[in-house]
Amino acid sequence: MTVVGGVHEPTLALHVEDLTASYAHQAVLWDVDLNVPPGVLAAIVGPNGAGKSTLLRCIIGAVRPNAGHVYVHGRPYREQRRRVAYVPQRTSVDWDFPTTALDVVTMGLYGRLGWFRRPRRTEADEALEALAMVGMDDFADRQIAQLSGGQQQRVFLARALVQDADLYLMDEPFAGVDATTERAIVDLLKDLRARGKTVVAVHHDLQTVATYFDWLALLNVRVIAQGPVTETYTAENLHAAYGPRVVLLGATGGPAPAAAPADRAPGEEARTPVA
Amino acid sequence: MTALQAWLDAPSVTIVAVGALVGVAATLLGTFLVLRRESMLSDAISHAVLLGIVGAYLLTGTLDTPLHVVGAALAGLATVVLTDLLVRSRRVKQDAAIGLVFPALFAAAVLLINVYARDVHLDADAVLLGEIAFAWLDVVRVGGLEVARSLLTMLVVTVLNLAFVVLAYKELKLATFDPALAVALGLRPGLIGLALLSLLSVTAVGAFDAVGAILFVAFVIVPPTAAYLLTDRLWRMLAYGSAIAVASSVIGYRVAVALDVSIGGSMASVTGGFLLLALALGPRHGLIARALRRRAPRPPAGADLASSAGTSAHTTAAAGPAGAPR
Repeated sequence: MTVVGGVHEPTLALHVEDLTASYAHQAVLWDVDLNVPPGVLAAIVGPNGAGKSTLLRCIIGAVRPNAGHVYVHGRPYREQRRRVAYVPQRTSVDWDFPTTALDVVTMGLYGRLGWFRRPRRTEADEALEALAMVGMDDFADRQIAQLSGGQQQRVFLARALVQDADLYLMDEPFAGVDATTERAIVDLLKDLRARGKTVVAVHHDLQTVATYFDWLALLNVRVIAQGPVTETYTAENLHAAYGPRVVLLGATGGPAPAAAPADRAPGEEARTPVA
Repeated sequence: MTALQAWLDAPSVTIVAVGALVGVAATLLGTFLVLRRESMLSDAISHAVLLGIVGAYLLTGTLDTPLHVVGAALAGLATVVLTDLLVRSRRVKQDAAIGLVFPALFAAAVLLINVYARDVHLDADAVLLGEIAFAWLDVVRVGGLEVARSLLTMLVVTVLNLAFVVLAYKELKLATFDPALAVALGLRPGLIGLALLSLLSVTAVGAFDAVGAILFVAFVIVPPTAAYLLTDRLWRMLAYGSAIAVASSVIGYRVAVALDVSIGGSMASVTGGFLLLALALGPRHGLIARALRRRAPRPPAGADLASSAGTSAHTTAAAGPAGAPR
């Protein structure tokens, strides 16, 4: 990535420009521009293989893009690591790993600690506090495989909270969690927004996009549309992203009810519509 | 001083100590390899380093330089890099890529030995099997003491590995558990991985003379796997694995003497015995504990746990057999 020095688009929490990425000559992201203002809950929505996770992984540098650059609050990502918290997909790690919930949350502080410095009492206290914020402090000493899917997701969220970041990047935070956890996560996101933080979350459930989020980017290798959810959540845009067969609930100017999003992962429970 | 020298002169002490040091050095790194599901890289590296040793020999004309350690580390890294390139081509999976790379490097090394180094003490048998029984014959003088060369080498390697694991414990843990977060936080998991595998290559060279590639691979994989079944804390896994490695050396030596069989083979067999024990007796993952839990399942604890039953095999295993009401 070529990093242009200095300040660039300082009014945006996240600014992605001309981002192209590929696996084995197949472009998974093509010339993506993404602009997210501060203080919004933004959803990245799109069908399977749209490059949603890859986009997040490009932003944090886990995937090297062919072209493009990423600015966070006006500066290149690498200078802003401390201001960004990343929550990977729950299924991306091995939950049989020999460690505890508290230890996983403490990992969020490893960046602040820097190379070779060990977490101490203060870090453990902060991690415990973050676990309490997601209602998981009673499970601090549990080995992580003994937690349910929803509890594991909350541990991941606590790990992001402990970083006290300004921008939260979350990959499928609602995937495979129970209804209780889903509501708890929504409250948490709204609380973050109330404190002026920005959330960018990959989301797969078209039915809840408009109720959970206020900003939307529709992605299918290219960006189809982005902006306030009230303007972008339209039948026309969704058809452009998903193809003509998707039907959606409450989108402006489209056919009406009940959608079955094409990309719900197997094993996810049916969810109760909120509101 | 003389008491220590007498102790060092005893072949049995040297043999057991070398075995134990190889075991601990291998286990410390092997723990992370097993958790990364890359343990077969140790097999590949332990063979490929022969190319590095031969290369260093052809350059210097002697086997007595530290250069062959460097050569071995480079060959080990070459294995990793070439495997990685093949995987990235998306034409082969990682296990197949490993299987393609290390036989090629090992074969090249064997051919080079046959052509250029026929009369040197360097042959494929010695590499694969080693001979720990002769470890005490080759001695060097250090500070007025005569110490077996392989004992000294393995002592240095073990201290090096221990220092790495202690110093970079948090980095190793994060790079293993969640490499994406490690990248996001700027903690370079790729670099940590290369350091891990470089040290593994160096350890393989150190272990060569003494125990050979096969026992080395056994020590990299088996004690950590047994320890994994016994605990669910990372530092305990390192400690238990090291203890199993040391115990395997001691018991393996005794068994070998009693039965008059190969010492290296006996040590490797004992690590396997520990694995079987752990498999049967492990508190959570053990077969007996599982059978007991199946007879007396724990009632679901609260809605949250119940709603997600089946997400993990261990979800229902929160309590050991002692917690089962019966």
